[in-house]
Amino acid sequence: MPTESDPGSDPAGFVAIEGVRYRYETGGPAIVDRVDWTIPHGAIHCLLGRSGCGKTTLLKLAGGLLLPGEGRVRVAGAVLRGPAPRVGFVFQTPTLLDWLSALDNVLLPLSLKRRPGAADRAAALDLLALMGLADHAARRPAALSGGQQSRVAVARALIGEPDLLLLDEPFAALDALTREELQDDLLRLCARRGTAALFVTHDIAEAVYLADRVAVMADGRITHASAVALPRPRPRGIRYDPAFGAACRALRAAMDARTAPVPTEERAAPAGPGGRAAPAGPGGRAA
Amino acid sequence: MSARLASGLLFLALLAGWEAWCRAAAVPVLILPPPSAVAATLWGEIASGRLWPHLAVTMAEMGLGLAAGTVVGLGAGIALAESPALSRVLRPYILASQLVPKLALGPLLIIWFGFGLTPTVVVTALICFFPLMETTLTGLAGVDPARRDLFRMLGASRLQTLLRLALPTALPVILAGLRVAVVLALVGAVVGEFVAGRAGLGASIIAAQSVMDSSLIFALFVVITALGMVFYEAVRALERAVLRRYRKG
Repeated sequence: MPTESDPGSDPAGFVAIEGVRYRYETGGPAIVDRVDWTIPHGAIHCLLGRSGCGKTTLLKLAGGLLLPGEGRVRVAGAVLRGPAPRVGFVFQTPTLLDWLSALDNVLLPLSLKRRPGAADRAAALDLLALMGLADHAARRPAALSGGQQSRVAVARALIGEPDLLLLDEPFAALDALTREELQDDLLRLCARRGTAALFVTHDIAEAVYLADRVAVMADGRITHASAVALPRPRPRGIRYDPAFGAACRALRAAMDARTAPVPTEERAAPAGPGGRAAPAGPGGRAA
Repeated sequence: MSARLASGLLFLALLAGWEAWCRAAAVPVLILPPPSAVAATLWGEIASGRLWPHLAVTMAEMGLGLAAGTVVGLGAGIALAESPALSRVLRPYILASQLVPKLALGPLLIIWFGFGLTPTVVVTALICFFPLMETTLTGLAGVDPARRDLFRMLGASRLQTLLRLALPTALPVILAGLRVAVVLALVGAVVGEFVAGRAGLGASIIAAQSVMDSSLIFALFVVITALGMVFYEAVRALERAVLRRYRKG
């Protein structure tokens, strides 16, 4: 368990993934194989791994889009039996509706439940403004750049004021500078309401920059877990900090180490100096 | 613009060649009337007012058949896309209904509905139904799975997913099907009249044939072609108006 979890919350964590196993077809290989993970209220966790390691499947299990064959997923104490309410999902592609304006795309989650009122529109415009898209509210997706579309997708995921945000490599297709801007936007918006997030990525630096805690996944298992001992808020320049580089190196080593078949779940990262957990798990020795 | 000019010049050149050949080779009017004779006949039909009731009947058959075929095709496409089990049961029958030559249904339809508007509308609807159903099925199947997941995540009902995601996504494809259907509707209406019509452009062709009036047959070809172009362009205009929402805005 992350020792730095927020005080006074459900001791099992806000999101609890318990012994979850998933196969796409019965008898087939387990895409997600006995994964345990917890996310406290307001924490940002990253799931790091190569393509095909099962991280997107685990994310869908966490959101209730898939139901586990074994084990269970609990959000706010309730076992998921279908798509989780009060959870925002950001997909690999922006998945905007081409025929709606940016504003109406952001309002979509609300408009499926009721007719959006003036307050809803104000909230959506507020989110778009926070994303730097105040002047683009009336535009359709085709008139927006890739980065702007991703911003609209994040704003749409946040309009319902979710307690948890699940993100599936949402910025992978963007250029490096735009990606950094969006990472900052995401951190700011999550901090605003203390939204917890599980962020899937294959980019080590992205994981270290965003996360309180990183899980490394390979072949359907979590092979390494460690907390990121960097202060918040994190300025952009922190990427050039030696501690940042060390954290990236340790995670890279953990990703490479699993070529040796030791899928040990390093759950309790030893607390390092400075109160937060140490950046590297045991996989670090392979460096 | 220059392409249109070239297109128009080609048309005039073809007409001139046709006219010249008819005169030079002294082709009998019964075999191939010259454009001048066709134009004169057409003008006579228009000026005398004889054309209008027939045009109205064919337009009515085409419009009603297209509307009925569109509604049923769209409905069937949605039903089959929403229910794969239903699709497996019904598709062989639907395919069979399309493979039966529509013209061969004519005599049966006359027995059921009598001569006149109804059998022709039914034939037209049967012809229009198929492209609409197929394109609706294709369009609805083409919805991106991630967007379906999005709607599931947002707790959308099946009807909401259909109305607010699947149908708008499929709309460009469905409209392409409508474009095909509008052309087929004219074929259906004219050919339906050959068999079952008492009035209309197709029935007029049969009447002209019985009096060996080739000029009138050609004049009716011109009217039918023009009618098809007007309907087609109307659907194109509708398509452009609807799809403007899908482009940059």
